[in-house]
Amino acid sequence: MPASDVETLARTDAVLRALADPNRREIIRLIQDTELPAGQIATHFTLTQQAVSQHLTVLKRAGLLEERRDGTRRLYRFRPAALEPVRTMLEEFWPDALERLKRVVERDHPKKGAKEQ
Amino acid sequence: MTSSKPSTEPSPSQSSPAPPVTASVRIAAPPDVVFPYFTDPALATRWIANAALLDARPGGVFSLDVRGNPARGEYLEVDPPRRVVFSWGIEGSEDLPPGTSTVEVVLEADGEDTVVTLTHRDLPTADFRRSHQAGWGEFLGILGGVARSAG
Repeated sequence: MPASDVETLARTDAVLRALADPNRREIIRLIQDTELPAGQIATHFTLTQQAVSQHLTVLKRAGLLEERRDGTRRLYRFRPAALEPVRTMLEEFWPDALERLKRVVERDHPKKGAKEQ
Repeated sequence: MTSSKPSTEPSPSQSSPAPPVTASVRIAAPPDVVFPYFTDPALATRWIANAALLDARPGGVFSLDVRGNPARGEYLEVDPPRRVVFSWGIEGSEDLPPGTSTVEVVLEADGEDTVVTLTHRDLPTADFRRSHQAGWGEFLGILGGVARSAG
């Protein structure tokens, strides 16, 4: 498997793990269209601020949110591009597959003067 | 000044489907040579799958193990050597069951070559703005299928 596939899978796995938790999914819902400070995010939960902070860290590592500093505050916003690994995977999979198809067919059915694409 | 901002609740177009994934390739062989690679298990295992169970007629089984992903579906249209359509899903996923998305393959003769155009449609959207509860499950289903191949 090419390295890019492995990287894509690793990224996808991180996203999957981050999204497996309902509290983290709720955090994303809160910040999907707006930027919020950590403190304000925490008010939506019965969790401790520390627990919310840990969830934010997991989401950040998965690339699912952007963090911005504003003075002493940290502001968070959902980063939709982190979801791209799934789509990227398919967008890479099919061209790779068709290239393999081309190589196999042209190897199986060589013709004189076959041109390289 | 009441410059009220809309709430965080999203509103825009709720119905736009996820865009299809497309890919194409030019192969130096005529369509009747290329077509069986989409329908013959012995040929499919040479380029796309580790294992294949294919019954290329409408309603016939379409089953490929692709890098550890159990891709399952059925043939929807089989029109040799020009076009084949099959459904595609991940076995074991509640939210993306076999048959959920659709792959259309069109083979066009161009001189002595074939231009293969593949369109993978009806993919569950990864657009979180229009997916709250059901959409999450759907998305996780796909991720689960994809991630399984990571081992």
